[in-house]
Amino acid sequence: MHTLQEFLNHTKGMTYVISALLLLASIGFWLYLTGREGGE
Amino acid sequence: MSEQSHAAPRPLLSPFNVVAALLLLLGGCAAAYRFAAGLGPSTNLDHLNPWGLWIGFDVMTGVALAAGGFTISSAVYLFGMREYQPLVRPAILTGFLGYFLVVVGLLVDLGQPWRLPYPFLVQSGPTSALFEIALCVALYLTTLFVEISPAAFEWLGLKRWRRLVHSMTMALTIFGLILSTMHQSTLGAMYLITPSRLHPLWYSAHIPVHFFVSAVAAGISMVVLESALSHRALSDRVEVSGERLDEMTVGLAKAGAVVLGVYLAIKVVALSLDDEWALLLTPYGHWYLFELLGFVLLPMLGYIVGHRERRPTLIRISAGVTVAGVVLNRLNVSMFAYNWRLPAADRYWPHPYEIAVSVALVTFGVVMFRWIASRMPILSEHPDWRGEH
Amino acid sequence: MSISRRGFLGTATLAAGVAAGTGRARAGAGKDRFPGYAGSMGLLHDTTLCVGCRACEIACARENHKPRPTARLGDRSVFGRLRRISDKLYTVVNRYIKARGKKPAVYRKHQCMHCQEPCCASVCFVRAFTKTPEGPVLYDPSVCVGCRYCVNACPYHALAYEYDNPMSPTVQRCTMCYPRIKEGKSPACADACPMGAIVFGKRADLVKLARRRMAKYPGRYVDHLFGEHEYGGTSWLTLAGVSFDKLGLPTGCSHRPLPELTSGFLSIVPLVITIYPGLLLGFYSFTRRKERLAERARVEAAEAARAAAEEAAAARAADQKKLSEARQKKAVDLAVAKALATRDSEEGAGRSGGGEEGRS
Repeated sequence: MHTLQEFLNHTKGMTYVISALLLLASIGFWLYLTGREGGE
Repeated sequence: MSEQSHAAPRPLLSPFNVVAALLLLLGGCAAAYRFAAGLGPSTNLDHLNPWGLWIGFDVMTGVALAAGGFTISSAVYLFGMREYQPLVRPAILTGFLGYFLVVVGLLVDLGQPWRLPYPFLVQSGPTSALFEIALCVALYLTTLFVEISPAAFEWLGLKRWRRLVHSMTMALTIFGLILSTMHQSTLGAMYLITPSRLHPLWYSAHIPVHFFVSAVAAGISMVVLESALSHRALSDRVEVSGERLDEMTVGLAKAGAVVLGVYLAIKVVALSLDDEWALLLTPYGHWYLFELLGFVLLPMLGYIVGHRERRPTLIRISAGVTVAGVVLNRLNVSMFAYNWRLPAADRYWPHPYEIAVSVALVTFGVVMFRWIASRMPILSEHPDWRGEH
Repeated sequence: MSISRRGFLGTATLAAGVAAGTGRARAGAGKDRFPGYAGSMGLLHDTTLCVGCRACEIACARENHKPRPTARLGDRSVFGRLRRISDKLYTVVNRYIKARGKKPAVYRKHQCMHCQEPCCASVCFVRAFTKTPEGPVLYDPSVCVGCRYCVNACPYHALAYEYDNPMSPTVQRCTMCYPRIKEGKSPACADACPMGAIVFGKRADLVKLARRRMAKYPGRYVDHLFGEHEYGGTSWLTLAGVSFDKLGLPTGCSHRPLPELTSGFLSIVPLVITIYPGLLLGFYSFTRRKERLAERARVEAAEAARAAAEEAAAARAADQKKLSEARQKKAVDLAVAKALATRDSEEGAGRSGGGEEGRS
């Protein structure tokens, strides 16, 4: 890794993928958390 | 309802239709010429000014003015302001059409528009602010499409689909708010990398926040304007009474005043942080003050008085001034205060063809809104789904 | 740029990152951690030696298969106005200061500066630009969408676009003669310069060379080497005898690379993605809770009202019953008394019958 550009490209790309996964996970998280609550 | 509109069809040769058709034809011709001859002959773009009206207005301004959708749906579904429910659908429709036109405008401007999916399919550049915007706009346009689809499902009588989408309202609203926060501010962030080109009064490390807050102000104001206009123009489709609309307008003015107040405050903060007071005395400074005082402070006062005295007309005028102010701000950042160091001869001014395409896009948006709103349950509830939101 | 480098988002870099091990993980986001490619090449333009012959322009046009400039070698008429880089002119020599008395005119050659941390590479959403280890910043036209953000963002106005090409326009700019460098040759402009005003070599050596010149002839040069630190540094270095803002170059530039400015903001984006769901569901729960409490309060109030009404009704019914019982009893008593009186007076059988009557 020699340039800032390479580093940013690497980290930004990975972070996009990870944040997308986390966003998807948050749906399941919420549904499981509130699954036993009656009604909506 | 549909029988009603069949019984009294609008005349095809109304002045509105004739003018709209002319503007669309002009813009269509200009766009065709752009693809036949290239960007060079059809625009005033050059190597120093590669972005013109099609980016500054169609994209920058278009996205800001389409912010009503996420603003109102968040207020109603997330913050429980149920009394504004009748405004949600028209706002989302305006948003959807706005983003759709942004993409159309972008396709005209791009050098090789058929490569638009390349950042997602071929090779992505995640260090670019534009990558984030492309991703968000693509996802948000889809979100808005899904959010407005119940209107079409009700119109077509597809009850199962209508119920399915309705069950996702909360997720869609949250997703829309996330995407909007991101790309509205990232549009401003596109200029973070150009400190030597954008005039210091408009350049700020906070420009993403400026863009986001002013987009919220634009969104609220667009909802005020669009509800008033459609109430007048499509009165046979509107269910909400004039008094109820005035009531909601007075309520929106409160939100508008607060958002414009916040915007004014953060603009002053940016002046202070970068110590740009002396620049206010230069010609660019006067132009900056014109924008800030005439198109932020003034409509804010209009909203305040309009809310306190319950004067819907004053509020609607203020909304118009706010929208004009956001247009002016985006044009200032992208055109008038950009490349400000270049000699006057090298500065950019839009070509008539560029203006023709932009005008045609706005016209197309209005025509589409009218077409959809006079057929689908946008301004009124569908009898089968009354009170179900 | 080969196909294998391509990929959506981090998938390609993810694999590369795993392969490269964890060494990079220690690196922070600052420029100081990334010294650039050691031994990369650069060019030094000494404007005090340039005489404005434009041999470099002509050599550049030949090398890049561009139309030969109409003005011939040594033609001074072109200096009447400031010329700009275009898709047909990768490099351009301008006269910034006219000759006055003994002082010679000042010319400067302009072209892509080949930044150490290129702005164009950072703003490109298809990663069309690459900083090569050899020094040149290369552009891959096969992925270019034509958004022109690179042209718009370049602080040196050094990129051009093919506006006259309707179907497949691309960005046009100096390549630092990358193919020639790969062959071990100097860039065409450096070879063509008859004055030695363009020196090709290792960038690190050129910085030292420029320093030596500035130290040796302090009256000849201003004490600044343009491109050493500007926005993180450039491969093209410029020496001058006058202030650089008189030569059309920005002065007072930050030493931080421009891409850092966008990077800081883009770091907030994942925060929005990760914080908003929790925050908004919190707001939503708050709203729902308020609505539910209001609903419960309404139900309870209704229940209480109904209970109160029922109680009142029951009490009224009880009163009624008591009243009617009392009235009945009174009637019975009256009847009994009457019967007793009759029996007393008549003295007949039916004593038990009268009791039964009273009980019913």
